[in-house]
Amino acid sequence: MTALQIPTSAPGSDRQVAPRIGARAVCEGLVREGVTTIFGYPGGTVLPIYDVLREFPLRHILVRHEQGGAHAADGFSRATGGVGVAIATSGPGAINLVTGLATAMMDSVPMVAITGNVPRALLGKDAFQETDIVGIALPVTKYATVVMDPDEVPYAIAEAFEIARSGRPGPVLLDFPKDVLQAETSVPHPQAHELRLPGLLRPVRGDIPAADDLAEMIAQAERPLILSGHGVQIAGAVDLLLEVAQRAEIPVAHTLLGIGNIDETHRLSAGYAGMHGWMHANKAIQQCDLLIGVGCRYDDRITGKTSTFAPNAKIVHVDVDRSEIGKNVRTDLGIVADAGDLLAALLRRLPQSEPRTEWMEQLAAWRALSATRSWHGSGSWREGRLSADYVVDQIGEATDHEATLVSDVGQNQMWAARYFGFRHPYRHLSSGGLGTMGYAVPAAMGAALGAPERETWAICGDGGFQMTMQELATLVQDQIPVRIAVLNNHRLGMIRQWQEIIYDENYHSAELLGPDLVRLCEAYGIPAWRATRPEEAAGVIAEARKAPGPALIDFQLDEAQNVYPMMLPGKGLSDMVEGAPE
Amino acid sequence: MTATSPARRQTLPAGEADAVQRRHIVSALVVDRPGTLNRVSGLLRARSFNIESLTVGTTHEPGKSRMTIAIRGDDGHLRQVLAQLERLLEVLEVTDLTGVQHIELELVLVEITPPRTPVEEHALAAILTAACGETLSTHPDVWRARLTASPDRVNDALEALRGLGLRSLVRAGAVAMATHPANPNETRSSENGATTA
Repeated sequence: MTALQIPTSAPGSDRQVAPRIGARAVCEGLVREGVTTIFGYPGGTVLPIYDVLREFPLRHILVRHEQGGAHAADGFSRATGGVGVAIATSGPGAINLVTGLATAMMDSVPMVAITGNVPRALLGKDAFQETDIVGIALPVTKYATVVMDPDEVPYAIAEAFEIARSGRPGPVLLDFPKDVLQAETSVPHPQAHELRLPGLLRPVRGDIPAADDLAEMIAQAERPLILSGHGVQIAGAVDLLLEVAQRAEIPVAHTLLGIGNIDETHRLSAGYAGMHGWMHANKAIQQCDLLIGVGCRYDDRITGKTSTFAPNAKIVHVDVDRSEIGKNVRTDLGIVADAGDLLAALLRRLPQSEPRTEWMEQLAAWRALSATRSWHGSGSWREGRLSADYVVDQIGEATDHEATLVSDVGQNQMWAARYFGFRHPYRHLSSGGLGTMGYAVPAAMGAALGAPERETWAICGDGGFQMTMQELATLVQDQIPVRIAVLNNHRLGMIRQWQEIIYDENYHSAELLGPDLVRLCEAYGIPAWRATRPEEAAGVIAEARKAPGPALIDFQLDEAQNVYPMMLPGKGLSDMVEGAPE
Repeated sequence: MTATSPARRQTLPAGEADAVQRRHIVSALVVDRPGTLNRVSGLLRARSFNIESLTVGTTHEPGKSRMTIAIRGDDGHLRQVLAQLERLLEVLEVTDLTGVQHIELELVLVEITPPRTPVEEHALAAILTAACGETLSTHPDVWRARLTASPDRVNDALEALRGLGLRSLVRAGAVAMATHPANPNETRSSENGATTA
């Protein structure tokens, strides 16, 4: 009888298995859920798990900080579509997971965090390394609970995975008092049908009748646009999205986490929209007469001022989470559904559309304008100075746009989003909602282990890199082949950009002293290169790609480079700042 | 939109259109376990709602509790928050009773100065009767009484009692129950594939 079961009858209580300690039941449960890799850091209260870990086919990656473990589990989930797992001990270990949990929560990433706690008899007595991690984690997890009975362990693990990956995914935290891990239980692991989670919102699968209304709106629209978000990839509906777009001749824009929903070179790709998105994507939003948001949140980085957002459009919002609909923007039609189910239902209803020649020509003209504007080159590489857009573009070219690219937060994130040239889903990982600096290196670690068939690059600024660079040691110890590109402008670049544009060039705390990254890597035993001129970029990228394990390139940038266009705070998509005054 | 599917512009962003603040009475069926109250109240706190009252009690079904939450907010904002509440694993069903027929009662215990004259005693009896109350104890120094009525009647009674020497009071907070028919649009039954209500 566990957490969320309504205690009418205890499923499985009539069956028994050979008794084993809670820690073994935890590991068995992980293996049953298909877990192969876990990211953790030992400590007193989780030692019972570490004591039996060798008995199970679980690869444990010893991270250097629990935050790194949480981000690695998140990266593992995003790159594989599975559920990453992080383990931490009680007190500080558990608290160090919180940033990673919040990051996963904001981006709807499934993961399971396992924490130890002090023995039950000591709970609430301010014991050594005791903290109320469940209380701390509640608002940043989909679910968090303490497992107080060894007999609850098998169900708790199965429930945690079911909760994490169902409906709108999210992180789950299970807290185990140490003596629960040490005590024996004979309760078996539940079968899937034995889980009864009455409070879990699951999308009803199958046809979506409301697609009738949407098909009718599409039939009447002249300038329709799809704004596609992360939900499309979570639903595994990228192919369906393209089919719908082609059937109805609707261009497809995407959010930051929607990168990869459509090949950016496809004729129907309308580009990355939002605060630092492409002008052509934002103009399309402002000029369309029907905006179909699929699996996105219409968050403030997309909409800016909501009262001027998509002023000419009927707005449709499709999301698996009912509470998202109408939260941020007015909605003419809200449909609560899995993105894949809705797109499939729509496809069944849509006739083949005639080409929307005028609308597509308009988009093409805007796209051509984007390509000629100076922000495309961010200027300086053509004049012999190394610029970030050039570096990202070169990594994209060298890897044939096939690599997994994990970006950090800030200017580097926007450059990565704009200039890599994504063609495929599940290749772009970034902390979109929470904006967690320090995400890239540990998340890339998880992504590289989860999807080893693909090359993995982390792109970060020198600020974010220094937040979690302790994971370099993990990369070395486990020889995890992550290539790190530090876009090093010796600045907190986005801070500097805001201070320049919004705070009247009052630069405070934007200058950032950092270590000599090449010598730092030498100390860790990681091959590293430094590039300072555009013509060096391709060469060092090629060298880094040859490294069997981790590698790092320190790209020394022109420090004054900004990301344009830019939507200023309080402004809308129609008032983008297109570039620095000439 | 066509005549068969009227335009649905009723899901408006918070604070823009239906920003009229009013008292809502919300009923939530929840899983009875430690942490449920924390999670529900935490979500309301994170959205800066001040809870007027929140009562919890068991139901006829083992393992399930019923919360009645009295809260002030504008309809659009609250509707969105209730959808977020419904998302919680511990919450099985959320109903905003504000727009539907319901009964609402509150229990209040009061301490009052004993009546000094028959007139005062008569007045006290009338107040208690109006609020479905009764005298519980009559110590020479202090009388204690119970009121059980709708919040409006309770408030009227308390106002009247102040004139008679109201010394202290304990309010239980509102409990409410929908009377048939409940509004089906506000419950989980309209969940997936349905257009928003």
